[in-house]
Amino acid sequence: MNKLMNAKEYEESLRKLKLKVYMFGKRVENVVDDPIIRPSMKAVAATYEYAHKPEHEDIMTATSHLTGKKINRFTHIHQSVEDLVKKSKMGRLLGSQTACCFQRCVGMDALNALSITTHAIDEKYGTEYNKRFLKYLGYVQENDLTCDGAMTDPKGNRSLSPAKQFDPDLFMHVVEERPDGIVVSGAKAHQTGAVNSHEIIVMPTITMREEDRDYAISFALPSDAEGITYIMGRQSCDTRKLEGMTFDRGNMFYGGHEALVVFDKVFVPWERVFMYKEYDFSTMLVEHFAAYHRQSYACKVGVGDVLIGAAQTIAEYNGAERASHVKDKIIEMNHLNETLFCGCIACAAEGHREPGGTYQNDLLLANVHKQNVTRFPYEIARIAQDIAGGLMVTCPSAADLASPEVGKWVEKYYRTRDDVPTEHRLRILRLIENITMGTAAVGYLTESMHGAGSPQAQRIMIARLVNMKHKQKAAKELCGIEKGDQVS
Amino acid sequence: MRDRKGRPGKLKAGIKYCGGCRPEFDRVAVVKELREALGEAIEMVRMDDEEADFILVVTGCKTACVDVESLPLKAKKYISSLSDARRVMEELANKTKT
Repeated sequence: MNKLMNAKEYEESLRKLKLKVYMFGKRVENVVDDPIIRPSMKAVAATYEYAHKPEHEDIMTATSHLTGKKINRFTHIHQSVEDLVKKSKMGRLLGSQTACCFQRCVGMDALNALSITTHAIDEKYGTEYNKRFLKYLGYVQENDLTCDGAMTDPKGNRSLSPAKQFDPDLFMHVVEERPDGIVVSGAKAHQTGAVNSHEIIVMPTITMREEDRDYAISFALPSDAEGITYIMGRQSCDTRKLEGMTFDRGNMFYGGHEALVVFDKVFVPWERVFMYKEYDFSTMLVEHFAAYHRQSYACKVGVGDVLIGAAQTIAEYNGAERASHVKDKIIEMNHLNETLFCGCIACAAEGHREPGGTYQNDLLLANVHKQNVTRFPYEIARIAQDIAGGLMVTCPSAADLASPEVGKWVEKYYRTRDDVPTEHRLRILRLIENITMGTAAVGYLTESMHGAGSPQAQRIMIARLVNMKHKQKAAKELCGIEKGDQVS
Repeated sequence: MRDRKGRPGKLKAGIKYCGGCRPEFDRVAVVKELREALGEAIEMVRMDDEEADFILVVTGCKTACVDVESLPLKAKKYISSLSDARRVMEELANKTKT
Protein backbone atom coordinates (compact mmCIF):
# COMPACT_ATOMS: atom_id res chain seq x y z
CA MET A 1 0.00 0.00 0.00
CA ASN A 2 1.24 3.46 -0.90
CA LYS A 3 0.98 5.93 1.94
CA LEU A 4 0.41 9.61 1.38
CA MET A 5 0.75 10.70 4.98
CA ASN A 6 -1.08 13.68 6.43
CA ALA A 7 0.36 15.99 9.08
CA LYS A 8 -0.94 13.96 11.99
CA GLU A 9 0.35 10.68 10.63
CA TYR A 10 3.73 12.28 9.98
CA GLU A 11 3.91 13.54 13.56
CA GLU A 12 2.99 10.10 14.90
CA SER A 13 5.64 8.48 12.68
CA LEU A 14 8.29 10.72 14.25
CA ARG A 15 7.25 9.63 17.75
CA LYS A 16 8.37 6.10 16.88
CA LEU A 17 11.94 7.24 16.20
CA LYS A 18 14.54 6.83 18.91
CA LEU A 19 16.72 9.82 18.09
CA LYS A 20 19.63 10.83 20.28
CA VAL A 21 19.23 14.61 20.36
CA TYR A 22 21.05 17.15 22.53
CA MET A 23 20.18 20.81 23.06
CA PHE A 24 21.58 23.27 25.61
CA GLY A 25 23.83 20.47 26.86
CA LYS A 26 21.01 18.10 27.74
CA ARG A 27 19.41 15.09 26.07
CA VAL A 28 16.01 15.91 24.57
CA GLU A 29 13.76 13.04 25.59
CA ASN A 30 10.63 14.15 23.72
CA VAL A 31 11.80 15.68 20.45
CA VAL A 32 8.38 16.07 18.83
CA ASP A 33 6.87 18.10 21.68
CA ASP A 34 9.91 20.15 22.57
CA PRO A 35 8.74 23.79 22.34
CA ILE A 36 11.84 24.94 20.45
CA ILE A 37 11.87 22.06 17.96
CA ARG A 38 8.11 21.64 17.48
CA PRO A 39 7.53 24.62 15.13
CA SER A 40 10.11 23.12 12.76
CA MET A 41 8.31 19.77 12.89
CA LYS A 42 5.07 21.57 12.01
CA ALA A 43 6.74 23.18 8.99
CA VAL A 44 7.66 19.72 7.67
CA ALA A 45 4.16 18.53 8.56
CA ALA A 46 2.83 21.23 6.20
CA THR A 47 4.56 19.43 3.30
CA TYR A 48 2.37 16.43 4.12
CA GLU A 49 -0.85 18.31 4.81
CA TYR A 50 -0.71 20.39 1.65
CA ALA A 51 -0.47 17.22 -0.45
CA HIS A 52 -4.02 16.47 0.69
CA LYS A 53 -5.45 19.89 -0.07
CA PRO A 54 -7.37 19.94 -3.39
CA GLU A 55 -6.24 23.51 -3.99
CA HIS A 56 -2.54 22.54 -3.78
CA GLU A 57 -2.22 18.86 -4.66
CA ASP A 58 -1.43 19.55 -8.31
CA ILE A 59 1.91 20.98 -7.19
CA MET A 60 2.41 18.92 -4.05
CA THR A 61 2.00 15.49 -5.58
CA ALA A 62 3.44 13.64 -8.56
CA THR A 63 3.20 10.23 -10.22
CA SER A 64 5.92 7.78 -9.26
CA HIS A 65 7.91 6.53 -12.24
CA LEU A 66 8.48 3.32 -10.26
CA THR A 67 4.89 2.42 -9.43
CA GLY A 68 2.62 4.82 -11.30
CA LYS A 69 1.10 5.75 -7.95
CA LYS A 70 0.40 9.20 -6.59
CA ILE A 71 3.22 10.28 -4.27
CA ASN A 72 4.34 13.38 -2.42
CA ARG A 73 6.50 15.44 -4.79
CA PHE A 74 9.24 15.53 -2.16
CA THR A 75 9.90 11.82 -2.85
CA HIS A 76 9.68 12.14 -6.63
CA ILE A 77 12.39 11.72 -9.27
CA HIS A 78 11.83 14.42 -11.89
CA GLN A 79 10.57 12.89 -15.12
CA SER A 80 10.07 16.04 -17.19
CA VAL A 81 10.72 19.75 -17.42
CA GLU A 82 7.21 20.21 -16.07
CA ASP A 83 8.23 18.30 -12.94
CA LEU A 84 11.21 20.63 -12.49
CA VAL A 85 9.02 23.71 -12.91
CA LYS A 86 6.49 22.40 -10.43
CA LYS A 87 9.28 21.78 -7.96
CA SER A 88 10.12 25.51 -8.05
CA LYS A 89 6.47 26.41 -7.69
CA MET A 90 6.12 24.05 -4.73
CA GLY A 91 9.03 25.83 -3.03
CA ARG A 92 7.39 29.22 -3.45
CA LEU A 93 4.03 27.91 -2.31
CA LEU A 94 5.34 26.35 0.89
CA GLY A 95 7.63 29.30 1.63
CA SER A 96 4.64 31.61 1.40
CA GLN A 97 2.57 29.39 3.70
CA THR A 98 5.18 28.78 6.41
CA ALA A 99 7.56 31.80 6.12
CA CYS A 100 10.43 29.53 7.08
CA CYS A 101 12.53 26.62 5.90
CA PHE A 102 10.25 23.57 5.58
CA GLN A 103 13.34 21.34 5.43
CA ARG A 104 12.18 18.62 3.08
CA CYS A 105 13.72 19.80 -0.21
CA VAL A 106 17.23 18.69 0.62
CA GLY A 107 16.26 15.01 0.74
CA MET A 108 14.42 15.32 -2.58
CA ASP A 109 17.51 16.89 -4.11
CA ALA A 110 19.75 14.13 -2.73
CA LEU A 111 17.46 11.44 -4.17
CA ASN A 112 17.49 13.05 -7.62
CA ALA A 113 21.27 13.59 -7.64
CA LEU A 114 21.82 9.97 -6.60
CA SER A 115 19.47 8.69 -9.29
CA ILE A 116 21.76 10.29 -11.89
CA THR A 117 25.11 9.51 -10.26
CA THR A 118 24.43 5.88 -9.36
CA HIS A 119 23.41 5.26 -12.97
CA ALA A 120 26.62 6.87 -14.22
CA ILE A 121 28.86 4.88 -11.84
CA ASP A 122 27.20 1.65 -12.93
CA GLU A 123 27.74 2.55 -16.58
CA LYS A 124 31.49 2.92 -16.02
CA TYR A 125 32.22 0.23 -13.45
CA GLY A 126 29.42 -2.32 -13.88
CA THR A 127 28.37 -1.87 -10.25
CA GLU A 128 24.80 -2.15 -9.04
CA TYR A 129 24.37 1.09 -7.15
CA ASN A 130 21.39 2.22 -9.23
CA LYS A 131 19.53 -1.03 -8.53
CA ARG A 132 20.15 -0.53 -4.81
CA PHE A 133 19.14 3.09 -5.06
CA LEU A 134 15.87 2.34 -6.84
CA LYS A 135 14.97 -0.22 -4.18
CA TYR A 136 15.67 2.39 -1.52
CA LEU A 137 13.69 5.01 -3.45
CA GLY A 138 10.73 2.63 -3.61
CA TYR A 139 10.88 2.30 0.18
CA VAL A 140 10.99 6.09 0.62
CA GLN A 141 8.07 6.65 -1.76
CA GLU A 142 6.00 3.79 -0.39
CA ASN A 143 6.25 5.14 3.14
CA ASP A 144 6.25 8.86 2.22
CA LEU A 145 9.42 9.50 4.22
CA THR A 146 11.28 12.70 4.96
CA CYS A 147 14.98 12.39 4.16
CA ASP A 148 17.76 14.62 5.38
CA GLY A 149 20.23 15.16 2.55
CA ALA A 150 23.54 15.37 4.39
CA MET A 151 26.41 16.84 2.40
CA THR A 152 28.38 19.42 4.40
CA ASP A 153 31.30 17.99 6.38
CA PRO A 154 32.95 20.12 9.08
CA LYS A 155 35.91 20.29 6.64
CA GLY A 156 38.61 21.26 9.17
CA ASN A 157 41.48 23.16 7.60
CA ARG A 158 40.10 24.44 4.28
CA SER A 159 43.53 24.42 2.67
CA LEU A 160 43.91 20.67 3.12
CA SER A 161 42.24 17.76 1.34
CA PRO A 162 40.21 15.22 3.38
CA ALA A 163 43.09 12.73 3.60
CA LYS A 164 45.50 15.40 4.87
CA GLN A 165 43.43 16.73 7.79
CA PHE A 166 44.96 16.37 11.27
CA ASP A 167 41.79 14.55 12.35
CA PRO A 168 40.47 12.02 9.79
CA ASP A 169 36.90 12.43 11.08
CA LEU A 170 36.65 16.02 9.81
CA PHE A 171 35.31 14.46 6.61
CA MET A 172 32.96 11.47 6.65
CA HIS A 173 34.93 8.34 5.86
CA VAL A 174 34.90 4.56 6.00
CA VAL A 175 36.75 3.12 8.99
CA GLU A 176 36.01 -0.56 8.47
CA GLU A 177 34.81 -2.83 5.69
CA ARG A 178 32.82 -5.91 6.63
CA PRO A 179 31.22 -8.69 4.57
CA ASP A 180 27.77 -7.24 5.28
CA GLY A 181 28.57 -3.54 5.02
CA ILE A 182 30.81 -0.69 6.09
CA VAL A 183 31.45 1.27 9.27
CA VAL A 184 31.70 5.06 8.95
CA SER A 185 32.78 7.93 11.16
CA GLY A 186 32.55 11.68 10.78
CA ALA A 187 29.93 14.38 11.00
CA LYS A 188 27.64 16.50 8.88
CA ALA A 189 27.15 20.13 9.89
CA HIS A 190 24.24 22.57 9.43
CA GLN A 191 21.76 19.75 8.86
CA THR A 192 18.43 21.38 8.20
CA GLY A 193 15.48 19.42 9.50
CA ALA A 194 17.70 16.57 10.70
CA VAL A 195 15.65 15.63 13.75
CA ASN A 196 12.40 15.81 11.76
CA SER A 197 13.66 13.23 9.27
CA HIS A 198 13.03 9.49 9.03
CA GLU A 199 16.15 8.92 6.95
CA ILE A 200 19.53 10.52 6.46
CA ILE A 201 21.22 10.37 3.05
CA VAL A 202 24.96 11.05 3.18
CA MET A 203 26.97 12.39 0.25
CA PRO A 204 30.56 13.64 -0.11
CA THR A 205 30.91 17.38 0.21
CA ILE A 206 33.73 18.19 -2.24
CA THR A 207 35.65 16.77 -5.16
CA MET A 208 37.75 13.82 -3.99
CA ARG A 209 41.10 12.67 -5.38
CA GLU A 210 42.54 9.17 -5.33
CA GLU A 211 44.16 9.78 -1.94
CA ASP A 212 40.66 10.58 -0.60
CA ARG A 213 39.09 7.27 -1.71
CA ASP A 214 37.95 6.38 1.80
CA TYR A 215 36.00 9.64 1.90
CA ALA A 216 34.20 9.13 -1.42
CA ILE A 217 31.15 7.45 0.05
CA SER A 218 27.41 7.87 -0.15
CA PHE A 219 24.80 5.94 1.79
CA ALA A 220 21.44 6.16 3.54
CA LEU A 221 20.49 5.23 7.09
CA PRO A 222 17.44 5.44 9.32
CA SER A 223 17.81 8.67 11.28
CA ASP A 224 17.84 6.76 14.56
CA ALA A 225 20.57 4.29 13.55
CA GLU A 226 22.91 3.24 16.35
CA GLY A 227 25.82 5.66 16.72
CA ILE A 228 24.15 8.81 15.32
CA THR A 229 23.91 11.82 17.65
CA TYR A 230 22.23 15.18 16.91
CA ILE A 231 23.40 18.42 18.52
CA MET A 232 20.92 21.22 17.89
CA GLY A 233 22.10 24.57 16.60
CA ARG A 234 21.04 27.78 18.35
CA GLN A 235 19.03 30.42 16.57
CA SER A 236 18.68 34.10 17.31
CA CYS A 237 15.72 34.59 19.72
CA ASP A 238 15.17 30.80 19.96
CA THR A 239 14.18 30.86 23.65
CA ARG A 240 11.22 33.11 22.92
CA LYS A 241 9.55 29.82 22.02
CA LEU A 242 9.81 28.89 25.71
CA GLU A 243 7.65 31.88 26.66
CA GLY A 244 4.42 30.25 25.52
CA MET A 245 2.25 31.21 22.56
CA THR A 246 2.84 34.95 22.77
CA PHE A 247 3.09 37.06 19.65
CA ASP A 248 6.69 37.86 20.52
CA ARG A 249 7.66 34.73 18.58
CA GLY A 250 6.60 36.53 15.38
CA ASN A 251 5.63 33.44 13.43
CA MET A 252 3.01 31.78 15.62
CA PHE A 253 3.12 28.42 13.87
CA TYR A 254 6.31 27.49 12.06
CA GLY A 255 10.11 27.57 12.19
CA GLY A 256 13.21 25.74 11.07
CA HIS A 257 16.16 24.06 12.72
CA GLU A 258 19.69 22.88 12.02
CA ALA A 259 21.86 20.36 13.79
CA LEU A 260 25.36 18.93 13.87
CA VAL A 261 24.97 15.21 13.13
CA VAL A 262 27.74 13.00 14.50
CA PHE A 263 28.39 9.50 13.15
CA ASP A 264 30.46 7.54 15.66
CA LYS A 265 31.43 4.23 14.05
CA VAL A 266 28.04 3.70 12.43
CA PHE A 267 27.30 0.50 10.51
CA VAL A 268 25.82 0.79 7.00
CA PRO A 269 24.60 -2.39 5.24
CA TRP A 270 25.77 -2.79 1.63
CA GLU A 271 22.24 -2.47 0.25
CA ARG A 272 22.22 1.13 1.47
CA VAL A 273 25.63 2.11 0.07
CA PHE A 274 25.36 4.11 -3.18
CA MET A 275 28.99 5.12 -3.71
CA TYR A 276 32.04 3.39 -2.32
CA LYS A 277 35.44 4.84 -3.09
CA GLU A 278 34.55 5.85 -6.68
CA TYR A 279 36.24 9.18 -6.03
CA ASP A 280 36.03 10.12 -9.70
CA PHE A 281 32.23 10.47 -9.32
CA SER A 282 32.31 12.70 -6.25
CA THR A 283 32.32 15.87 -8.36
CA MET A 284 29.36 14.65 -10.37
CA LEU A 285 27.30 13.92 -7.28
CA VAL A 286 28.21 17.23 -5.65
CA GLU A 287 27.47 19.29 -8.75
CA HIS A 288 24.16 17.63 -9.57
CA PHE A 289 23.01 17.90 -5.98
CA ALA A 290 24.17 21.52 -5.80
CA ALA A 291 22.28 22.46 -8.96
CA TYR A 292 19.08 20.88 -7.68
CA HIS A 293 19.48 22.42 -4.26
CA ARG A 294 20.30 25.87 -5.63
CA GLN A 295 17.00 25.68 -7.50
CA SER A 296 15.29 24.75 -4.23
CA TYR A 297 15.91 28.27 -2.97
CA ALA A 298 12.64 29.03 -4.72
CA CYS A 299 11.33 28.80 -1.17
CA LYS A 300 12.86 32.21 -0.41
CA VAL A 301 10.50 33.75 -2.96
CA GLY A 302 7.62 32.47 -0.86
CA VAL A 303 9.13 33.84 2.34
CA GLY A 304 9.67 37.09 0.43
CA ASP A 305 5.94 37.11 -0.40
CA VAL A 306 5.19 37.06 3.33
CA LEU A 307 7.74 39.76 4.14
CA ILE A 308 6.41 42.02 1.39
CA GLY A 309 2.89 41.45 2.69
CA ALA A 310 4.07 42.34 6.18
CA ALA A 311 5.83 45.50 4.94
CA GLN A 312 2.73 46.68 3.10
CA THR A 313 0.61 45.95 6.19
CA ILE A 314 2.83 47.90 8.60
CA ALA A 315 2.94 50.78 6.11
CA GLU A 316 -0.86 50.85 6.18
CA TYR A 317 -0.97 50.53 9.98
CA ASN A 318 1.45 53.44 10.23
CA GLY A 319 -0.58 55.51 7.75
CA ALA A 320 2.43 55.70 5.44
CA GLU A 321 1.19 53.54 2.56
CA ARG A 322 0.48 56.49 0.27
CA ALA A 323 3.93 58.06 0.63
CA SER A 324 5.61 57.82 -2.77
CA HIS A 325 8.90 56.52 -1.38
CA VAL A 326 7.09 53.76 0.52
CA LYS A 327 5.19 52.75 -2.61
CA ASP A 328 8.47 52.68 -4.53
CA LYS A 329 10.15 50.56 -1.86
CA ILE A 330 7.34 48.03 -2.04
CA ILE A 331 7.76 47.96 -5.82
CA GLU A 332 11.49 47.35 -5.36
CA MET A 333 10.81 44.46 -2.97
CA ASN A 334 8.45 42.89 -5.49
CA HIS A 335 10.91 43.44 -8.32
CA LEU A 336 13.68 41.68 -6.43
CA ASN A 337 11.40 38.86 -5.31
CA GLU A 338 9.98 38.18 -8.76
CA THR A 339 13.51 38.32 -10.21
CA LEU A 340 14.34 35.46 -7.87
CA PHE A 341 11.28 33.63 -9.13
CA CYS A 342 12.49 34.14 -12.72
CA GLY A 343 15.74 32.36 -11.87
CA CYS A 344 14.23 29.29 -10.29
CA ILE A 345 11.68 28.94 -13.08
CA ALA A 346 14.29 29.50 -15.79
CA CYS A 347 16.73 26.88 -14.55
CA ALA A 348 13.83 24.40 -14.40
CA ALA A 349 12.41 25.32 -17.82
CA GLU A 350 15.87 24.83 -19.37
CA GLY A 351 16.23 21.39 -17.78
CA HIS A 352 17.23 18.29 -19.69
CA ARG A 353 17.03 14.50 -19.58
CA GLU A 354 20.02 12.65 -18.18
CA PRO A 355 20.95 9.17 -19.52
CA GLY A 356 19.08 7.32 -16.76
CA GLY A 357 15.88 9.27 -17.47
CA THR A 358 16.04 11.72 -14.58
CA TYR A 359 15.57 15.37 -15.49
CA GLN A 360 18.26 17.77 -14.35
CA ASN A 361 17.79 21.52 -14.14
CA ASP A 362 20.17 23.84 -15.99
CA LEU A 363 23.39 24.05 -13.97
CA LEU A 364 24.44 27.54 -15.07
CA LEU A 365 21.04 29.12 -14.47
CA ALA A 366 20.67 27.30 -11.13
CA ASN A 367 23.95 28.83 -10.00
CA VAL A 368 22.94 32.28 -11.24
CA HIS A 369 19.65 31.92 -9.37
CA LYS A 370 21.36 30.95 -6.12
CA GLN A 371 23.87 33.79 -6.52
CA ASN A 372 20.89 36.18 -6.63
CA VAL A 373 19.49 34.48 -3.54
CA THR A 374 22.70 35.30 -1.65
CA ARG A 375 21.90 38.99 -2.20
CA PHE A 376 18.28 39.88 -2.83
CA PRO A 377 16.70 38.62 0.43
CA TYR A 378 19.14 40.86 2.31
CA GLU A 379 17.98 43.88 0.32
CA ILE A 380 14.32 42.90 0.68
CA ALA A 381 14.88 42.54 4.44
CA ARG A 382 16.64 45.92 4.58
CA ILE A 383 13.71 47.63 2.87
CA ALA A 384 11.22 45.83 5.14
CA GLN A 385 13.09 47.14 8.18
CA ASP A 386 13.18 50.61 6.62
CA ILE A 387 9.40 50.61 6.17
CA ALA A 388 8.75 48.99 9.56
CA GLY A 389 10.59 51.70 11.50
CA GLY A 390 12.66 51.39 14.64
CA LEU A 391 9.75 50.22 16.76
CA MET A 392 10.37 46.73 15.39
CA VAL A 393 13.35 46.46 17.73
CA THR A 394 12.29 48.75 20.56
CA CYS A 395 8.69 47.81 21.24
CA PRO A 396 7.83 46.22 24.59
CA SER A 397 6.88 42.58 24.93
CA ALA A 398 3.50 40.96 24.61
CA ALA A 399 3.57 40.58 28.39
CA ASP A 400 3.91 44.35 28.78
CA LEU A 401 0.93 44.92 26.51
CA ALA A 402 -1.06 42.48 28.67
CA SER A 403 0.19 43.99 31.95
CA PRO A 404 -2.51 45.46 34.23
CA GLU A 405 -0.02 48.14 35.26
CA VAL A 406 1.64 49.32 32.04
CA GLY A 407 -0.43 47.72 29.30
CA LYS A 408 -2.60 50.84 28.97
CA TRP A 409 0.50 52.94 28.20
CA VAL A 410 1.77 50.52 25.56
CA GLU A 411 -1.72 50.45 24.08
CA LYS A 412 -2.02 54.24 24.12
CA TYR A 413 1.37 55.28 22.84
CA TYR A 414 1.84 52.66 20.15
CA ARG A 415 -1.62 53.12 18.68
CA THR A 416 -1.52 54.70 15.24
CA ARG A 417 -5.12 54.54 14.03
CA ASP A 418 -8.61 54.09 15.44
CA ASP A 419 -9.25 51.06 13.29
CA VAL A 420 -6.00 49.20 14.02
CA PRO A 421 -5.53 47.64 17.47
CA THR A 422 -2.06 48.23 18.92
CA GLU A 423 -1.67 44.49 19.26
CA HIS A 424 -2.04 44.05 15.49
CA ARG A 425 0.69 46.60 14.88
CA LEU A 426 3.01 44.84 17.31
CA ARG A 427 2.20 41.42 15.83
CA ILE A 428 3.16 42.43 12.29
CA LEU A 429 6.32 44.11 13.57
CA ARG A 430 7.29 40.92 15.41
CA LEU A 431 6.79 38.94 12.20
CA ILE A 432 9.13 41.29 10.32
CA GLU A 433 11.62 41.01 13.19
CA ASN A 434 11.30 37.20 13.09
CA ILE A 435 12.08 36.99 9.37
CA THR A 436 14.80 39.64 9.21
CA MET A 437 16.66 39.12 12.49
CA GLY A 438 14.94 36.44 14.57
CA THR A 439 14.74 32.67 14.27
CA ALA A 440 13.48 32.81 10.68
CA ALA A 441 16.40 35.00 9.59
CA VAL A 442 18.51 31.86 9.86
CA GLY A 443 16.57 30.53 6.90
CA TYR A 444 15.75 33.73 5.03
CA LEU A 445 19.14 35.41 5.27
CA THR A 446 22.15 33.34 6.38
CA GLU A 447 20.86 30.14 4.79
CA SER A 448 20.33 32.18 1.61
CA MET A 449 23.97 33.20 1.85
CA HIS A 450 25.60 29.87 2.67
CA GLY A 451 23.04 27.12 2.12
CA ALA A 452 23.63 24.98 -1.00
CA GLY A 453 27.06 26.58 -1.20
CA SER A 454 28.41 30.01 -0.30
CA PRO A 455 28.45 32.77 -2.95
CA GLN A 456 31.95 31.96 -4.17
CA ALA A 457 30.91 28.38 -4.94
CA GLN A 458 28.34 29.68 -7.43
CA ARG A 459 30.79 32.15 -8.94
CA ILE A 460 33.28 29.35 -9.60
CA MET A 461 30.54 27.36 -11.31
CA ILE A 462 29.37 30.37 -13.34
CA ALA A 463 32.93 30.95 -14.54
CA ARG A 464 33.23 27.30 -15.51
CA LEU A 465 29.86 26.94 -17.20
CA VAL A 466 29.58 30.04 -19.38
CA ASN A 467 30.75 29.63 -22.96
CA MET A 468 33.24 32.51 -23.04
CA LYS A 469 34.64 31.55 -26.43
CA HIS A 470 31.18 31.91 -27.93
CA LYS A 471 30.80 35.40 -26.46
CA GLN A 472 34.27 36.44 -27.65
CA LYS A 473 33.62 35.12 -31.13
CA ALA A 474 30.45 37.20 -31.41
CA ALA A 475 32.28 40.31 -30.21
CA LYS A 476 35.28 39.82 -32.49
CA GLU A 477 33.12 39.20 -35.55
CA LEU A 478 30.93 42.23 -35.02
CA CYS A 479 33.86 44.63 -34.70
CA GLY A 480 35.67 43.07 -37.64
CA ILE A 481 38.57 41.34 -35.85
CA GLU A 482 37.37 37.99 -37.17
CA LYS A 483 35.33 37.15 -40.23
CA GLY A 484 31.88 35.74 -39.58
CA ASP A 485 28.73 35.22 -41.60
CA GLN A 486 27.05 38.51 -40.76
CA VAL A 487 24.63 40.05 -43.22
CA SER A 488 26.72 42.34 -45.41
CA MET B 1 -31.44 20.97 -17.51
CA ARG B 2 -34.32 19.00 -15.96
CA ASP B 3 -34.65 15.94 -13.77
CA ARG B 4 -37.02 13.01 -14.43
CA LYS B 5 -40.00 14.90 -13.02
CA GLY B 6 -39.34 17.89 -15.22
CA ARG B 7 -37.98 20.07 -12.44
CA PRO B 8 -34.75 22.00 -12.83
CA GLY B 9 -31.98 19.47 -12.14
CA LYS B 10 -28.87 19.70 -10.03
CA LEU B 11 -25.55 20.10 -11.79
CA LYS B 12 -22.62 18.11 -10.51
CA ALA B 13 -19.27 19.82 -10.87
CA GLY B 14 -15.93 18.13 -10.24
CA ILE B 15 -13.30 20.61 -9.05
CA LYS B 16 -9.67 20.64 -10.11
CA TYR B 17 -7.40 23.36 -8.79
CA CYS B 18 -3.92 24.29 -9.93
CA GLY B 19 -1.24 24.18 -7.23
CA GLY B 20 -1.65 27.85 -6.33
CA CYS B 21 1.97 29.03 -6.19
CA ARG B 22 1.18 32.70 -6.94
CA PRO B 23 -2.55 33.03 -7.41
CA GLU B 24 -3.87 36.33 -8.76
CA PHE B 25 -7.18 35.76 -6.98
CA ASP B 26 -8.48 33.59 -4.14
CA ARG B 27 -9.35 30.37 -5.96
CA VAL B 28 -11.04 28.68 -3.02
CA ALA B 29 -13.11 31.78 -2.22
CA VAL B 30 -14.29 31.99 -5.84
CA VAL B 31 -15.51 28.38 -5.80
CA LYS B 32 -17.21 28.99 -2.46
CA GLU B 33 -18.91 32.08 -3.89
CA LEU B 34 -20.03 30.15 -6.93
CA ARG B 35 -21.44 27.40 -4.76
CA GLU B 36 -23.31 29.88 -2.59
CA ALA B 37 -24.65 31.83 -5.57
CA LEU B 38 -26.02 28.73 -7.27
CA GLY B 39 -27.31 27.18 -4.06
CA GLU B 40 -28.93 23.79 -4.46
CA ALA B 41 -28.71 23.97 -8.23
CA ILE B 42 -25.11 22.79 -8.11
CA GLU B 43 -23.25 20.13 -6.21
CA MET B 44 -19.48 20.07 -5.96
CA VAL B 45 -18.15 16.54 -6.18
CA ARG B 46 -14.78 14.87 -6.41
CA MET B 47 -12.97 15.48 -9.65
CA ASP B 48 -13.04 11.76 -10.48
CA ASP B 49 -16.72 11.29 -9.56
CA GLU B 50 -18.30 9.42 -12.47
CA GLU B 51 -21.53 11.36 -12.07
CA ALA B 52 -19.87 14.73 -12.50
CA ASP B 53 -21.46 16.62 -15.41
CA PHE B 54 -18.29 18.61 -16.02
CA ILE B 55 -15.00 19.55 -14.43
CA LEU B 56 -14.37 23.06 -13.21
CA VAL B 57 -10.65 23.78 -13.67
CA VAL B 58 -9.66 26.65 -11.39
CA THR B 59 -6.20 28.13 -11.97
CA GLY B 60 -4.67 31.04 -10.09
CA CYS B 61 -3.12 32.63 -13.17
CA LYS B 62 -3.26 32.45 -16.96
CA THR B 63 -0.26 30.13 -17.06
CA ALA B 64 -2.68 27.41 -15.98
CA CYS B 65 0.03 24.80 -15.42
CA VAL B 66 -2.48 22.37 -13.95
CA ASP B 67 -2.18 18.82 -15.19
CA VAL B 68 -5.33 18.63 -17.34
CA GLU B 69 -4.27 15.55 -19.28
CA SER B 70 -4.69 13.32 -16.25
CA LEU B 71 -8.28 14.48 -15.73
CA PRO B 72 -11.28 12.36 -16.79
CA LEU B 73 -12.45 12.91 -20.34
CA LYS B 74 -15.34 15.23 -19.57
CA ALA B 75 -16.39 18.72 -20.50
CA LYS B 76 -14.29 21.32 -18.75
CA LYS B 77 -14.96 24.87 -17.73
CA TYR B 78 -11.94 27.02 -16.96
CA ILE B 79 -11.63 29.79 -14.41
CA SER B 80 -8.32 31.60 -14.40
CA SER B 81 -9.46 35.09 -13.43
CA LEU B 82 -12.30 36.83 -11.62
CA SER B 83 -13.93 37.72 -14.96
CA ASP B 84 -13.82 34.05 -15.93
CA ALA B 85 -15.52 33.26 -12.64
CA ARG B 86 -18.32 35.75 -13.34
CA ARG B 87 -18.81 34.36 -16.83
CA VAL B 88 -18.95 30.76 -15.63
CA MET B 89 -21.30 31.71 -12.81
CA GLU B 90 -23.73 33.37 -15.24
CA GLU B 91 -23.51 30.45 -17.63
CA LEU B 92 -24.26 27.93 -14.89
CA ALA B 93 -27.03 30.07 -13.43
CA ASN B 94 -28.74 30.18 -16.83
CA LYS B 95 -28.25 26.47 -17.31
CA THR B 96 -29.80 25.54 -14.00
CA LYS B 97 -32.81 27.78 -14.66
CA THR B 98 -33.72 26.13 -17.95
